[in-house]
Amino acid sequence: MPETKKSSVFSQKICRFCNEDQSKVYIDFYDVKALKPLISERGKIVPSRISGNCAKCQRILTRAIKKARSIALLPFAVEH
Amino acid sequence: MRSYQSVLILKPDIDEPRVAEALEKIGEFIKSNGGACLKVENWGKKRLAYRVKKNRFGIYLNLYHTLESAKVVELETKYKLYDLIIKYMVVRLDDDELERALGKETEAEGEAKDEDKDGKTEKKAEVKAEEKTEEKTEEKAEVKAEE
Repeated sequence: MPETKKSSVFSQKICRFCNEDQSKVYIDFYDVKALKPLISERGKIVPSRISGNCAKCQRILTRAIKKARSIALLPFAVEH
Repeated sequence: MRSYQSVLILKPDIDEPRVAEALEKIGEFIKSNGGACLKVENWGKKRLAYRVKKNRFGIYLNLYHTLESAKVVELETKYKLYDLIIKYMVVRLDDDELERALGKETEAEGEAKDEDKDGKTEKKAEVKAEEKTEEKTEEKAEVKAEE
């Protein structure tokens, strides 16, 4: 089996932001609930190869996360 | 004239009249510079992701407004000098982004409540899980001792 355990958390390789009707994607930086699953324990942005997001949505997401960080909604780094 | 979104974090220890006062002051400034306040949201007291000027909590305000692009620098200096504001961010919005924002009803308040509930249930679940693991380890230890 080539599939490893790692992919079990983000099993589906489907972009979670793309709409079926191909309309414009909006990701709000203040929507912490939507952004939380896409940052790691340490506060890093989860790469698209793991989350399965398409490149376009990943770019929009990255911008949203960086904005959220600058206004203290998301951490820059989580210290252990 | 462009549309902007300002997110402000106020000091956590101020009461509601002072929050309203601050909002009024900012609204007046925007109006006096030829802008218009389109929508004001109060997200309430939230835990900050990191310390800001030694504060762990902050009162979030969210303003949608229009302003002359040359006046944004002035607005930012106003935010910077206002002692109740500990952090601010001004984001430029495109027309479709603004429409989308104004179309939304106050969902943020409902979300905040949901988050609180989730946090509590998660904590409970964690405690239960810990108890179970402890019990299991104890049982195992007993079994081993008997052997």
